[in-house]
Amino acid sequence: MKLQHSLGGLENVGPVSTERNVFVCEWEKRIFGIHMAMMSLSNHLPDRPDNLEFDSEWTWADLRKGAEAMNPFEYFKYRYYEKWLGGISGFIISEGYITAEELEDRASKYLEGGPPAVAGQAGPEVDGQILKYMQFGDSPKSDVEKTPRFAEKDRVRIRDNHVTDHTKLPGHLRNKIGTVVDVSDGTYSYFQHTGPDGIGDAMPVYTVMFEQDELWGELGEPNTRVYADLFEAYLDVAE
Amino acid sequence: MQSLFKYVDDREQKNAARAMALEDLLIKKGLITQDSIDTILEYFETKMGPFNGARIVARAWTDESFKQYLLQDTPGAIASMDFPTGMAGAEGEHMKAVANAPSDHNMIICTLCSCYPFPVLGLPPYWYKDPSFRSRAVREPRAVLKEFGVNLPSDVQVHLWDSSAQIRWFVIPEQPLGTEDWTEEELVKLVTPESMMGVAMVEKP
Repeated sequence: MKLQHSLGGLENVGPVSTERNVFVCEWEKRIFGIHMAMMSLSNHLPDRPDNLEFDSEWTWADLRKGAEAMNPFEYFKYRYYEKWLGGISGFIISEGYITAEELEDRASKYLEGGPPAVAGQAGPEVDGQILKYMQFGDSPKSDVEKTPRFAEKDRVRIRDNHVTDHTKLPGHLRNKIGTVVDVSDGTYSYFQHTGPDGIGDAMPVYTVMFEQDELWGELGEPNTRVYADLFEAYLDVAE
Repeated sequence: MQSLFKYVDDREQKNAARAMALEDLLIKKGLITQDSIDTILEYFETKMGPFNGARIVARAWTDESFKQYLLQDTPGAIASMDFPTGMAGAEGEHMKAVANAPSDHNMIICTLCSCYPFPVLGLPPYWYKDPSFRSRAVREPRAVLKEFGVNLPSDVQVHLWDSSAQIRWFVIPEQPLGTEDWTEEELVKLVTPESMMGVAMVEKP
């Protein structure tokens, strides 16, 4: 497990940022848009046009995995969208759509004053698919039926499964005891299988409530409760 | 190790150049069009943003039965309003509303990344994605609220909702005192994104 899997409760990180802008530099808009476009065109989506040039799977899981794979010191050094820029450029290169040299060459032309505009051949089906994804999304809800192992008011102990490269279980909840306050309707899959971490296949999901003293002992603030949305693979019976 | 913390002087220029170069190459290779990125940005500027959440909150303030519907069945209640297609789209597939009250204060967080209900709140402000908020708010929400200028009485119960699977929560803030006879349209203007995330109160001007 890496530091970025367990940010909750980390001490001495200084005051919070209260920067209300979504983008703090103009270029951040472009990488955000590129990420949303790639998610919209991802080849795992149903009813996608079959003539799209982008033919890879790209989801939030890939973006998160990239950030979780970073050297933790680098993770804190780079701003949010800088991490995206690194992860997305790396993926586009590794999938063979462009080469690292092409990217460096074109970027250096921008630094020298700006290259001539490019033209492309992508058809209207690309922006049609993008709008379709934005409007209809990619729900993880599944048709698979599974009887939930837990019910509301059950006390559960959070497992401490081994993480290889990606998890949806915040580190500060591991080995803690909470109470199920809601069982989501149906079952939910995750974009990818996370190996020994345990998610991917459709399974029930719960909202689990933790009292602050269970999580933080004397370091917590009174009258505070934390609720997390947790896949069944992360829960065990509290003995 | 020391080299890790060396910042290059032209860091932002290099970032900008790389981002623009990447977009150009994706256009050139036919993966996206000249318009793709602007189409996406415009979608969040004009169709899916905090202006939708503000309308939902104002409706909840003026119509108690709608508020109860919203808390019981968030997607159903939102679908009953007149919004453009997309309220159950990207990052809005499974949204849930939670309501503040004199005795209860709700906040949203994503300690692992930045999950956020796009259709009602738009795109998350920088502070929500910054590691300092994600580290601290989950353990010391009152201290964090103070940094946002909110002093919460110690007997108020704080509820922190961490989006770690499919649910994207948002907060129905409390209606400010003295606005009981305001119209829905007037109330919409008071609701800020921060108030729907639980780090600000809605104030009567």
